[in-house]
Amino acid sequence: MDWLEQELAQALARKEPAAGFDRRVRARLHRRPRWLAIAATIIVTIGAGEAWRQHQGQLAKEQVMTAMRITGSKLNRVQLQLKGTEQ
Amino acid sequence: MVFSVAWHFLHDRDLAEETAQDVFLSLHTHLAGIESPAHAGFWLRKVAVQRSIDAARKRSRRPQVALEDVAELSVHPAPGDPMLGGMLRRLIATLPEMPRMAMILRYQEDLDPAEIAETMGIPLGTVKSHIQRSLALLRGKLERRGVGER
Repeated sequence: MDWLEQELAQALARKEPAAGFDRRVRARLHRRPRWLAIAATIIVTIGAGEAWRQHQGQLAKEQVMTAMRITGSKLNRVQLQLKGTEQ
Repeated sequence: MVFSVAWHFLHDRDLAEETAQDVFLSLHTHLAGIESPAHAGFWLRKVAVQRSIDAARKRSRRPQVALEDVAELSVHPAPGDPMLGGMLRRLIATLPEMPRMAMILRYQEDLDPAEIAETMGIPLGTVKSHIQRSLALLRGKLERRGVGER
């Protein structure tokens, strides 16, 4: 190492964080589950919303199918009546 | 080591602290993949490098300075003068991010170029070039000011 490299090694000597670094890391570590819980709540809420929308969609589909079945049977009845009238 | 890499790279104590905390929190979530103390050391250094670079990119929109445009010195300290250390840190802080990190790993962590290349994930030749160019640049700036003539 020449003089400049020696000066660089001194200038870039390791620095320590302020006292209590370990404690601050542990504090953040323990705060994490709360964030995880919030994230989980958000995900569950979004999931529930999606499930509710799917359920509503299913109901609407069933209503449409029922309406079509009723309409179909009414049309059949009208057709039968028309046939009877013609005969 | 983790805080020090971040501090020398970022020159911001609060940001270096936050970055170092992030690195240790990340270690906690990756503990299962750590095979030995030596692996933990390598992992911490590598992630400290990545997070420090990310933090610098997020923090600053300031333009990167070309290696040749590093600031000139305004005072003339001699080798061994504590002022020279501060001056060198400031000069290194103005280097572009990759040469800066290579210099920190070389002179703070005492890694050889192959280890630096592995840590930073860049080719060995690039590391050597960053270090040689940075040293030549610093030496030129110092010698023009009469620093280094013992």
